[in-house]
Amino acid sequence: MDSKWTLRKAGSLLLLLLSNLLLCKGTASLPICPNGAANCQVSLRDLFERAVILSHYIHNLSSEMFNEFDKRYAQGRGFITKAINSCHTSSLPTPEDKEQAQQIHHEDLLRVVLRVLRSWNTPLYHLVSEVRGMQEAPDAILSRAIEIEEQNRRLLEGMEKIVGQVHPGIKENEVYSVWSGLPSLQMADEDARLFAFYNLLHCLRRDSHKIDNYLKLLKCRIIYDSNC
Amino acid sequence: MDLWQLLLTVALAGSSDAFSGSEATPATLGRESKSLHRVHPGLGTNSSWKPKFTKCRSPELETFSCHWTDGVHHGLTSPGSVQLFYIRRSTQEWTQEWKECPDYVSAGENSCYFNSSYTSIWIPYCIKLTNNGGTVDQKCFSVEEIVQPDPPISLNWTLLNISLTGIHADIQVRWEPPPNADVQKGWIVLEYELQYKEVNETQWKVMDPVLSTSVPVYSLRLDKDYEVRVRSRQRNSEKYGEFSEVLSVTLPQMSPFACEEDFQFPWFLIIIFGIFGLTAMLFVFIFSKQQRIKMLILPPVPVPKIKGIDPDLLKEGKLEEVNTILAIHDGYKPEFFNDDSWVEFIELDIDDPDEKTEGSDTDRLLSNNHEKSLTILGAKDDDSGRTSCYEPDLLETDFKGDEISEAAQPQRSEGEADLLCLDQKNQRDLPYQDISPAAQQPHVVPAEDKPRSLLAGEIESTLQAAPSQLSNPNSLANIDFYAQVSDITPAGSVVLSPGQKNKAGNSQCDAHPEVSPLCQANFLMDNAYFCEADAKKCITTAPQVERESRAVPSFNQEDIYITTESLTTTAGRSGAVAATSGSEVPVPDYTSIHLVQSPQGLVLNTAPLPVPVPLPDKEFLSSCGYVSTDQLNKIMP
Repeated sequence: MDSKWTLRKAGSLLLLLLSNLLLCKGTASLPICPNGAANCQVSLRDLFERAVILSHYIHNLSSEMFNEFDKRYAQGRGFITKAINSCHTSSLPTPEDKEQAQQIHHEDLLRVVLRVLRSWNTPLYHLVSEVRGMQEAPDAILSRAIEIEEQNRRLLEGMEKIVGQVHPGIKENEVYSVWSGLPSLQMADEDARLFAFYNLLHCLRRDSHKIDNYLKLLKCRIIYDSNC
Repeated sequence: MDLWQLLLTVALAGSSDAFSGSEATPATLGRESKSLHRVHPGLGTNSSWKPKFTKCRSPELETFSCHWTDGVHHGLTSPGSVQLFYIRRSTQEWTQEWKECPDYVSAGENSCYFNSSYTSIWIPYCIKLTNNGGTVDQKCFSVEEIVQPDPPISLNWTLLNISLTGIHADIQVRWEPPPNADVQKGWIVLEYELQYKEVNETQWKVMDPVLSTSVPVYSLRLDKDYEVRVRSRQRNSEKYGEFSEVLSVTLPQMSPFACEEDFQFPWFLIIIFGIFGLTAMLFVFIFSKQQRIKMLILPPVPVPKIKGIDPDLLKEGKLEEVNTILAIHDGYKPEFFNDDSWVEFIELDIDDPDEKTEGSDTDRLLSNNHEKSLTILGAKDDDSGRTSCYEPDLLETDFKGDEISEAAQPQRSEGEADLLCLDQKNQRDLPYQDISPAAQQPHVVPAEDKPRSLLAGEIESTLQAAPSQLSNPNSLANIDFYAQVSDITPAGSVVLSPGQKNKAGNSQCDAHPEVSPLCQANFLMDNAYFCEADAKKCITTAPQVERESRAVPSFNQEDIYITTESLTTTAGRSGAVAATSGSEVPVPDYTSIHLVQSPQGLVLNTAPLPVPVPLPDKEFLSSCGYVSTDQLNKIMP
């Protein structure tokens, strides 16, 4: 009996270890390197597919989050100044329409994407913490915020991988625009604070749409040769 | 920010022609989907209807156009006076000027078309509508929020397969994305929704959105014609574009020998069979197991019932039995009947003398020192059978030794007697012969209440008797514990019926030789109860001592319980004693208590002696049993 028990224990432990290894392996839970080699080359197509899926997902979440916030907090408050307030990423030069996007080189476009993604690291982190601190923290918004933050990190990693593949060897300075909106998120005045949230969420929705668009454009251009 | 707001309010509040081209703040309204209008009171327009923005849309994320409604009174307002101005933010700052709409024509009437050069995505725009210079409507939005693609084009369908039954078929519908949407370069990604219906239906069946431009439609009936339409929207958006043109699907007709109509659920048959089955079951139940069903359907109403009692008992009136049964239950106290009632409840547990000695009432009454003596006794001292209520009016009844429990109950005409009797009842384990009268007498007679002493005396006397009793516990037990009171003398003494006292008396007396050495001590200790033989022996052995001892307790004690009888007869008692001594007199079982000498004990009336022998020295008459007063009188001089 004892021997059997110990055998079972060992077997289960082994199983646990193996499963952990397998699960923790891929950051995006994709079978990126089925061979298990350390320096495997994941195809660019898969990377782009994955990136587009992530960016689309992030844009979905941010749209829903914005709608939820608008429905819950912005009704009747007259948050009419969204058009006036700018986003912190507005300082980054980004193509504003299709022509510009088509004219820009894909490496630059990739860099633009990276910059925007990096610029959102800090705001997303603070968004999560501040939403948690809101009274009656709405779960719909908080869960989405947490998810967006995580997926944004993943997307950033994926994009860095893509950049490493598309333009290997080029190391650019990590440029991103600094977000200074934390004080406004922590204001005592509830109206002002809620407006700051509203603005941030609106900017997030816009930027996620922008990134999604750029990536889809890049995917069609690079992978499908402009023939999606 | 605040500055802009202030300026906006100022601009809106005022009415001026200087809006065009001046430093006007951009309108700050809500989302374009809700048109927040701050309508100017309308200078120059007589109609109540103002031009309003109906919608702005961008079909492909490259251009957009805005539409508005015209004022109601076409005739009144000059048609060309409505103008649209827009302003957009570039980089960080708003352009300072409101610009007029570049194209009023391309999008139709009352519209403004912004081509791709004027369109910037992800940039906030604000537009306003003016009428003769007065702002009538404003709106702010971003282009990516107003995307509503054009409908797909080139719908067509192909037959996939036909079912084996020839009733249904599957088709594949294909279409092209709207031409102006640049899906090839991936600038915009669309998803489509297909709807179809039969030709003569009104409700469209909606399918889930798909990303591809072709979708299969299953299970179309061959004998029907269908219509299909598709609409598209940008992914992640909410608003769909317009529907495409309706596609008519006419499926090939099968041969006329095709199968019949669809299988329709045979509700009618099911209902019929269900009813039939239910009635059959009902009949089966009714006729097969009647009782059970009756029980199930109509459970019997519980009738009132007392546990353990047969209702027939109550009917027939056997109250005694009912009482006994009910007595089990707490709190039920049956009435005391005049006949035999209190005796009824006297328990006589003769079979186990050992048990009886434990916790006997004597224990409780006496001090602990006497408990041991009690345990030695092995005799039951339950005097509940005694009618030591000491009532003059006690009923005289015949009593038989083995029917102790049914001894006649003395009448209790007085409350005191009742009390005594009840108390007596509780004292089950007391020595039969002595204790009960002793215990009761203090209550009845205003003498000093020393039941304990009396009892002590009694117990000590019974100590003597104990060995004899122990030797024959069972046989004697029946006799010694209870005695029926046959009479109560007018003097107040208790007369007990003879019963089987002879045996007891003899046995006790027989045992006395052994106890003779105790006599002296006992005399000194003033035991109240002595057998006649005892007394004789004691007297003979130590006559002088006896005399002394007897002399001592006699009448010198203040706490002597003296009845009227005793007063008259004490003088002659000694004679009576003497008379009784030396002869084996068949004394009756019970004698009335003549004298209670505290703490020494009782002096009993002697039994009728055949020869009254005067014994002047003997003041105390000790007999084995009770002596009736009459007897005593005879004895006494």
